[in-house]
This record gives sequence, structure tokens and C-alpha cells, in this order.
Amino acid sequence: MWRDAALVAGKDLRIEARSRVALAQVAPFGIVALALFAFALGPDRAVMAKGAPGLFWVAVLFCTVLAVQRSVSVESADGARDGLRLSGIDPAGLFLGKAAAVGAQLLVLEAILVAGVVVLYGARIEVPWMVVVSCALGTVGLAVTGTLYGALSAGVRVRETLLPLLLLPIAAPVLLAGTRIWQAAMVGGTPADGTQWLRLLVAFDAVYLAVGVILFGPIQETA
Amino acid sequence: MRYIVAGYVVILSLLFLYSVQLVWRRRRLARAVARVVAAGAGHEGPTVGTLPAAGGPT
Amino acid sequence: MSDLAPATDRRDRPVAPAVPTTGVTPAPVQSPRARATERTIGVLALVGTAFTVWLGLWVTPPDRTQGDLVRLVYLHPGVAWVALYLAFGLAAVSSVLYLWPRTRSLFWDRLAAAAVEVGVVFNVCTLVSGSIWGKPTWGVWWAWDARLTLTAVLLVLFLGYLAIRRVPAEPEVRARRSAFVALFAVLDVPLVHFSVNWWNTLHQGATVLNPGLTLKIHGSMAWTLLLGFVALTLAFVWMLLVRYRIGVLEDWLDANELGAALVERRSEGAGASAGAAGSAPIDPVGVA
Repeated sequence: MWRDAALVAGKDLRIEARSRVALAQVAPFGIVALALFAFALGPDRAVMAKGAPGLFWVAVLFCTVLAVQRSVSVESADGARDGLRLSGIDPAGLFLGKAAAVGAQLLVLEAILVAGVVVLYGARIEVPWMVVVSCALGTVGLAVTGTLYGALSAGVRVRETLLPLLLLPIAAPVLLAGTRIWQAAMVGGTPADGTQWLRLLVAFDAVYLAVGVILFGPIQETA
Repeated sequence: MRYIVAGYVVILSLLFLYSVQLVWRRRRLARAVARVVAAGAGHEGPTVGTLPAAGGPT
Repeated sequence: MSDLAPATDRRDRPVAPAVPTTGVTPAPVQSPRARATERTIGVLALVGTAFTVWLGLWVTPPDRTQGDLVRLVYLHPGVAWVALYLAFGLAAVSSVLYLWPRTRSLFWDRLAAAAVEVGVVFNVCTLVSGSIWGKPTWGVWWAWDARLTLTAVLLVLFLGYLAIRRVPAEPEVRARRSAFVALFAVLDVPLVHFSVNWWNTLHQGATVLNPGLTLKIHGSMAWTLLLGFVALTLAFVWMLLVRYRIGVLEDWLDANELGAALVERRSEGAGASAGAAGSAPIDPVGVA
């Protein structure tokens, strides 16, 4: 399973390296989103700094949708999905591999967005490790649920509109937790508040990882 | 109190309208089914009845 | 009578595996007893609801603290219970039963679909009644109360379920897709519940009291409340039965419309050329 996962992740990341969609399209989109939020919230920097955690995570969520769409569409050409199934790759490995690839891309995007938020909104981070951990855990959760829903909607022609509708409500706990942890980690926040949220993120990740590993085989058959 | 009455009216109307829609949908579908059944059964004579393989009454 | 016995005709092979060209599969019939039960439940639900409204709006006394505003307690928790626990719970269980190989049957899928659709309607009722109750009680149409938020998220989750069911697909594929969506949605519920609860308590100083649960209910109010629950549950059951039946009819039509149309078309051609009734105009794969 792990070897298959590595194989699949490697393949997806290599495709990304060659086509640079995440870097060239999704990242700029994320920055544009941050800019739009700034326009919406007005020039008062205090307001923006306060809203930075939430806005960061919303931007991440948008980028997740795009990254997952990309991850799914990579397979849809030339019957690649059937090829994957026929190749005998362990479904759980496929799931982990694709999620890992999406996750890796998300981490890069998040790094860019963190820089954006610090620079554009004047966010001041006091406890950096909490920010990093929240991003890591949140990314796992988003990548995992994204891959699951991506697989479910893989064969569907209205996938572009269906996937966000399916994914975003599920991701609500990640958004809430991520925002709260960030707020705890900011200047002026209480770090202790963040710990229970970290636990929630771990629980979320564990649940959907388990679900994915167990059910990805049957899910694939519906595509 | 106005709010309460409004609340009752809204909820009951929603439920009532949905029920009406359900009944109407079922009626429409049942009619469609009847039509299809009639079409299927009524026209089997000309295409099928002449064949020996069907094993009719002999 | 033998004119109606088509199934063994060797000439009429299906054009595509799922499409019968020898007429149609037997139409789904609802037994008279089922119909009568459905009717009874419907009438009981109607009567119960009417009674609840009468009791709730006129007979029962106003509350000491909330005054007349309490009267929505006879409807609001009831629709919430139906939507969140009864309907979506049933949908979740049905979905799992469909996915489980040993109990797999399209019956569970249709039941889940019916339960979700009715559940969504009741969910909307819950949100709307909660909002209407909230305005005079809290002064706002909406509050990011833990319950309201969770209810809203649930609505969107199951709207997603309905959306994915609309996608054209084979019944089994559609059933599996929706079952997975239902399963993921249900898994998310406790997570959202906890996160929103924490979010709420961290966010606000005084917790917003949820009207209805902090009331001490006595006497006629208690009975009316119970009646409300029962009446709404019966209404749910009735709607579920009708919606399920609609699902059965829709699926049958999907499977048979084409077959019947083909038969009809062919018989038109056969009728026009009188002696050509024995020829095989659209014989696809040959006999046997």
C-alpha cells in the first residue's frame, strides 16, 4: 500500500512539476482572493489583521477546491482512471497517494498565502509552531476529504459545481479549527485556547483517513 | 404574537405545499406508467403474435 | 390471452442490456392495504397537526417568561427532531445498509433518497421557524448559535446529496454515490457539532439559550408538545411513503419508457406494411 501510494503521489507531483498548474494558476488565484478580501473589508489594517486567520483559511479552502479538481481531471483523459484500476494498484494506496500529492501542493500554496497574509494584512504571529501545525493538520484533512469527494464526483460532468457544494460543508470543522488555532497563535491571542482545536483537527483527520483507506476501493467503482 | 402566527403559517404552509407537490408528482407518474404499460401491452400483438416460437394455444 | 405473453419471443432481443424490447416489465403496483395504511397515516397526521395548532395557539396558556412567544415550541423542536434525527438518521442507516454487500438492495437507496428529500424540507422548516422565533425572542433573525449553525450545515450537506442524485447515471451507480455522500455527511455531523459548540462558547460570553429546552413544561403544554411531536412524525412517515412510491415509479419509468416506445415504434411500422408483421426490421444481434 505505501509503495503504491508513493508511486501515485510521485506521478501526480511530477505532472504538477511539468505543468505547473498549482504554481502558475492556483497560487495567483489565492493571492487574488486575499486581495479581494482586502477590498471587501476596507483599508483599516486593524480589521484585516483581526480577520487574517479566517481569511487565510477561506483562501486555502478555495485553493483546495481547485487543487482537487485538478487532481481529478488529471485522470479523466485517455481512460487513465480505468487504467489505474486495471493496473492492480491498491485502492488505499491510490487514495493516500493522491491525497498526499494534493496535500503537498496545498502546503506550498499555504506557505505563499501565509506570506501574503503577513504582508498584506499585517498579521502578527506570536506562536509560529501552532500556525505550522495547524496548517499541516488542516492540509491533511482538506486533502483527504477533497480526494474522497473528487473520486465520488470523478465521472460526473457537472463536477465543477458539484465538488465545491459537496466539499465545503464537510470542511467546515477544518475552517473553524484552523481559524481558532491561528487566532490563538496571533499576537494578542491565548495559545492555550488552541489545544482543543488541535485535537479536533487530529480527530477529523483520523476519521476521514480511515474512511478513505477502507472505502476508496468501493468508491472508485462508482466513478 | 404576530411572529408566532406567522411562524405557524409558514411552517404549515411549507409542509402542506410539499405534500401537495408529492401527491401531484405521484399522480403524474402513475399516469405515465399506465400509458407506458398500455403502449407496451397493446402493441405486442402485431410484432409477436405471428411467431411459432411463442407457443400459443394449439 | 397469449398475445400478452411476450417474454419468450426469441426475435425481440434487447437492443441494450437494460432495455427490454418485448414490451415492459410488470408495472409496480401498490397493494390496496399499503394504500389504505398510507391514507390512514395521512389523515391521522392531518388531524394531529390541526389539533396541535388549535391547542398550541389557543388552548395552552402563555409562558411565564416568554409569554405567547413560547407557542412555537409546539412546532419548532418537533420539525427539528423529524429532520435531524428521524429523517437524516434514517437516510444514514439506509445508506449504510445499501453499501453493505449482504443487505444491498435498491430499496434502501430509494428509502434513503426519500428520507433525505423529506428531511431537507423539514430542515428548512426548522431553520425558518427558529429564525421566526428568534426575532422576537433574541431580537435577531439569525444568530451563530451552535444549533442553528449545525442545522444550516446539515442542510447544505444534504442539498449536496440531492444534487449528486440528479446526475444521470445507472441506478446502482447513483445509489452508491449518494450512499457515500450520506455516509460522509453523517460522519461530519459530530465533528461539526463539537467544533461549532466550542466556537460558540469561545466566541460569546453568555450562551444563547435555546428556547424550548430551558422551559419547564407542565400540564397542557406538555401534552401539546407531545402531540406535536407525534403529529409531525406521522406527517413525516406519510411523506416518506409517498416520496418512496414516487421513487419506485420514477425508476420504473426510466427503465421501461424506452422499451415501450421502441415496441410502439416497431408496431407502427409493422401495422403500416400489413404483411410485413413477420419481418424483423430492427433485429440487432440475431436470434438466440
